[in-house]
Formats: sequence, C-alpha cells, structure tokens
Amino acid sequence: MNDRFGIGWRPELAAGILSNLDCIDIIEVIADDYFTAPRSKRRALNTLARQVPVALHGVTLGMASAVPVEARRLERTARLVEEVRPEFWSEHLAFVRGGGVEIGHLAAPPRTAATIAGAARNLDVAGQIVGAPPLVENIATLIDPPGSTMSEADWNVEILAAAQCDLLLDLHNLYANAVNFGFDPHQYIDRMPRERIRAIHLAGGRWIKAKSSGEFRLLDDHLHDVPEAVYNLLEYVGEKTCHPLTVILERDGCYPPTNALLNQLDLARQALRRGRERRRTSPVSEAA
Amino acid sequence: MSAKFEAFLAKLYVDDQARSRFLADRRREALSSGLAEDDCAALENIDLVGLELAANSFARKRASHRLRRPASKLSHWLKSE
Repeated sequence: MNDRFGIGWRPELAAGILSNLDCIDIIEVIADDYFTAPRSKRRALNTLARQVPVALHGVTLGMASAVPVEARRLERTARLVEEVRPEFWSEHLAFVRGGGVEIGHLAAPPRTAATIAGAARNLDVAGQIVGAPPLVENIATLIDPPGSTMSEADWNVEILAAAQCDLLLDLHNLYANAVNFGFDPHQYIDRMPRERIRAIHLAGGRWIKAKSSGEFRLLDDHLHDVPEAVYNLLEYVGEKTCHPLTVILERDGCYPPTNALLNQLDLARQALRRGRERRRTSPVSEAA
Repeated sequence: MSAKFEAFLAKLYVDDQARSRFLADRRREALSSGLAEDDCAALENIDLVGLELAANSFARKRASHRLRRPASKLSHWLKSE
C-alpha cells in the first residue's frame, strides 16, 4: 500500500472534491455531522463511501476526560461506522464538556496520570462498542493546560502505550503548540512511537493577539493555507517512518479555488517523498 | 483531572461572569468550588494569556456552530449527477 493523500469533506468543497477524485485518495468526513442527519444525507454519505475510501473523524466524544464517555455517543458512532465502513475512525485527545457545560470545541485537559487513565479507559470502551479503536489526534491549545505535570509529548506517548491506539498526528496542532509554548516539534515527533503514526493532518492558522498583554499566539483555525514549517514537519515524519501514511488536508472556511487545495496536496506529496528519499539515502536512518 | 476540576474548567472557559469572578480572586473561587488543594494551586498559576485567548476562541467556535447551515450539499450534488 502507498501513502494516501486526501481532503476533509466539507459541503462547500463537495463539487471540487467529486470532480477531482482521480487525485484525491481518501476523504475524511466529520462523523458528528451525520449522527442526527436525515436518512437522505446518510444515504448520500454511503454513496460517497462506495466511490472513494472514507475516514470518519469525531469531534465531540471528549475522550481525554475523567468522566466516562456516554454509551449513547459511542453507540451512534458505532452505527455510523457500521453503515459507512470507513478505512478508520479517529477522535481527539481532548475534553469537550464538564459538569453539564458544553465548551463547544476541543479543550486540552491537564496532562497528568489521571487523564491518561481516563483517556485509556474511554478509548478501550470506545474500541469495544465501535468495534475498532480510534486513531487518536493531538490537539492544539491556546492555553497551557492548568494542572499539568508532564510535557505534551510524554502525555501523548503514555496514552498511546496505555490505550493501544494509533496516532493521527496533526502537524499544524503540533506546530502551533510548539511555537506557543516553546518546544521543538522535531523532538516531539522523535518521542512518538513511529510505527504508531498512521495518519497526518495538515492545516493552517493565524496569529492572534491577547488584548490584556499584547502577546501573540498561533491559532489553528483551518482557514489558511498550510505553512511551509508544517510541510517541513511532514518531510521529517517521512524521514522517520517507512510504513504508508494517510495525509489529510483540513480546511474549514475561507475556501480557496479547488486547484489551490489540490496544489497543497501536491506540496504534501512532495514533502513526504523528500523525507522518504532522505531516509533511503541516510545511513543513520537506515540503522534507526 | 477530577470530574470536579473538569467541570470548573469548562465553566471557566465558557461563562464570562464566572471567569470575571475567578480573575478577581482565583484562589477563593477555586476553594469555593470545592476543588482539591493541588487544583487550587494550579489555578492560581493559570496561564492568563492562554485563558483569555482560549475563552475567546471557544466563544467564536460556539457562535460559528450556531450559524452553520444544517444541510450538506452532498445530497443535492449526488442527486444532480
């Protein structure tokens, strides 16, 4: 099997994606958009899944939580997975609600032994109910999670070890956290068990300014093109891994012409190819 | 993270008034929510810039969810093929 390159499905991109399936290997669909969708919309998704490989991506389960994920949420994921039969499904290492309050997005929990245990338990139950464990995705955070006792890399590695899940490595999330909190993203990649990196997300973002202090941080907003630094990280991943990867470009708005998105997929192909080539020609990498 | 700490953070990220009270006296707000001493200490040292930016970002996300169109164009596209 070869590396695959795809795009996150969004209604606004439908025409562009469907008319370019010859250069799109896989489509990633937001699972949550279909949980309560009318039958016609579910049928349309099933039709799509028969034309092109599909991955399902969850955003609201809240796996990295002290609170068990509700069975009803996992059961509807299971029903969708059963219907669509995706190549894989994925979720984030995040909490999204607490005490009945919905945050509305992915929040980073404190990086502690307790949240590792909570995530491992939730991921284990998810694997049992859905029938396959999800790939787990590292998230971007604008706030250094309060109460953390370990680095992001250590925390993610411990969860991968405890949960027996593979990793969906979001390189823009990693890049944003690295520039916002001052660590080396290459060292983070080096810490990950390379055989567990199965898929990659690429996206863009923008700098935002805090009114109180004037400090800037990089927001992962999926509204901008993939920056060069993220392609460079993809090249680095290519150098460190030798198994096939699935690379997905995420775009949630400010949609450019389809050709511009396809060009970003091409840049991703070139970056991964460069990394793989360097691995082949580097005596150090061969020995690693 | 205890469920109680998780609930406190969720409210802090979402509720402007709760956040204002917290910023006025972090320790008192944490203690009055019955959090453990370790959690209270962590909240006293919270990343304030991050809290401001994250709360704003979460608010924008919630607003954009409310504005999102309910239906996908996929059905229309496939029907017209």
